[in-house]
Amino acid sequence: MARIFYDKAPVEIQALGTNFRETLIATDCSINFNNSQSPIYSVGKKGPIGQFPSAARVGDISFNFLTTITGEFQNIVGIGVTSERNGNIINYLADAIKNSTDSEASGVIIKCANVSGVGFLSSYSFNATANSISSSSAAFTLFGSGSDLPVSGRLSGVSAGVAVGTSVTTGIAHGRYTTMPSTLNTKLYDDTSAQNPAVATIYSADYSISFNHNPIYKIGQEFPVTTFYTNASESINVSEDLFNSGLKYDETAASYNLELKGLSPTANPMLLRITDAKQINTSASVGLDDIIRTQKTLTAAY
Amino acid sequence: MLGRITREAERLTINGSGIQGVQSLTASYNSVARPVSNLGINSIQYYPEGPQQATLEVNTLLTHFLPVPNELSSYKSRDPMQNYTGTLPFSGVVDHGSKKFYFTEGYLETYSATCAIGQIPQSSTSSVIYGNFGTGAQFDSWEQTSQTPTSLNVTSYGSMEINLDTFVTNRVNSFNVNIATPRLPIYAIGNDEPTGVIAGTPIEVNVNFEIEPDDYEIKNMRLIPDETVFKNTVITLKKNNSHDILLKYSFDDMLLTSESFSANNDSNARINFNLRSFILR
Repeated sequence: MARIFYDKAPVEIQALGTNFRETLIATDCSINFNNSQSPIYSVGKKGPIGQFPSAARVGDISFNFLTTITGEFQNIVGIGVTSERNGNIINYLADAIKNSTDSEASGVIIKCANVSGVGFLSSYSFNATANSISSSSAAFTLFGSGSDLPVSGRLSGVSAGVAVGTSVTTGIAHGRYTTMPSTLNTKLYDDTSAQNPAVATIYSADYSISFNHNPIYKIGQEFPVTTFYTNASESINVSEDLFNSGLKYDETAASYNLELKGLSPTANPMLLRITDAKQINTSASVGLDDIIRTQKTLTAAY
Repeated sequence: MLGRITREAERLTINGSGIQGVQSLTASYNSVARPVSNLGINSIQYYPEGPQQATLEVNTLLTHFLPVPNELSSYKSRDPMQNYTGTLPFSGVVDHGSKKFYFTEGYLETYSATCAIGQIPQSSTSSVIYGNFGTGAQFDSWEQTSQTPTSLNVTSYGSMEINLDTFVTNRVNSFNVNIATPRLPIYAIGNDEPTGVIAGTPIEVNVNFEIEPDDYEIKNMRLIPDETVFKNTVITLKKNNSHDILLKYSFDDMLLTSESFSANNDSNARINFNLRSFILR
């Protein structure tokens, strides 16, 4: 009987062929393994002949986690030391994939309570809100490879040991210390005060990116021989207080560096670069006992 | 060592002016620290979640008042605390013995004035501190601005006027005026203090009276046009044994929202009723 409490079910990510490995500060995790079966019917028989496999078995793993930055949380193995690579392993992975020039993808090993598989990042998102800790989400698709199953292993508890003492965590991104690039704030000009634009205040930002992968199957084998990364679409939804009614038909593309910081003012931030993003939407809404808040969405493609 | 600090060594100063007649004072904050909880948890670490705010509650006797305001005055009410029911914030310091702590960007959320037979009228306020609170480096270079000082003018229950037709023939035992001024702090990303605090609207005013009735008649509970009662209320506080007006609470078209009759074998019959109105800023 596998009765495993949550403290024995850490979520661990390990990049294949590298030393990059990180136990995420996950708040939940779900693992699915799907086997597609279709009924086959024939003339002269009312019921189906049977149910037969119609696609290869695939799995998926998704989890939410606190947006960790390199360093001082538990025994996290940080990602690199340069300013370009601070952040958690999922952020690093997303950055590496979307800027990849190599089409063939290698995937990463995902483990939770001794169940594991090789997965390809299908989506990643995080939020940054005033006075709140930042949380992230990630989802992986597990295709399997060769004769390797997409998902394998038996549920069992994994002990991480118990650390001594308590402290204030400094390695988790927090909206209090995170700043958005000044170019991301909406600015509105009018004819009379072009030098003094109205500048919006940013209250929160939600970032997300989704990836498309293409597994290559061959006759005589259930699982793919290889998997290619094809493209990615990225978006950031920013909450402000200025409504840009002058949205252009062909908006200018711009790049933004988001820097997520934790409670330590001196630690390097987690960097995320959005390249050639265009604003595609703006909206305003208001409810009782609140100011009018506006939303704008910027998208980029890779 | 193991000393104690008594009332003579305690003092509240707001915007550079000492608050007199303080009966009680409570100042507190919560750190909003939350422990990190995660799958595979193996240690306890904390992080702040949500805005960090403090509260200040002050109860004072209405014994000290500002000078009569004129066109050039920066205040409208002679009660120093009542002036903060508007949009202005305040800062201050609390002395206790040789120690002190500070607070900045305080906004009044409730203001109430009460009086009963045999009492000196009192005011009570509760405020939210959106700026800083406590001690530390943030206050090293902090200085208070000076404000007009108050002077001794004791009010009393015997020299006040209540203008409500009900009270011509029915004895008033006590009253309570309560003003709630909602605040909406706007927090932006990258800041722990709000970028602005909006003075919400409407302001809710509740006035409660307790009377010993003679010919007072309980009204009808149904909210119907012919039976619903609206009243204008004026409460004037004067200096003890004089006609010098110190404070006046005046509200129009207050809706009678509740009446409570109570009878007891060892006291006179009593009726408590509540009048309610809203003021748009």
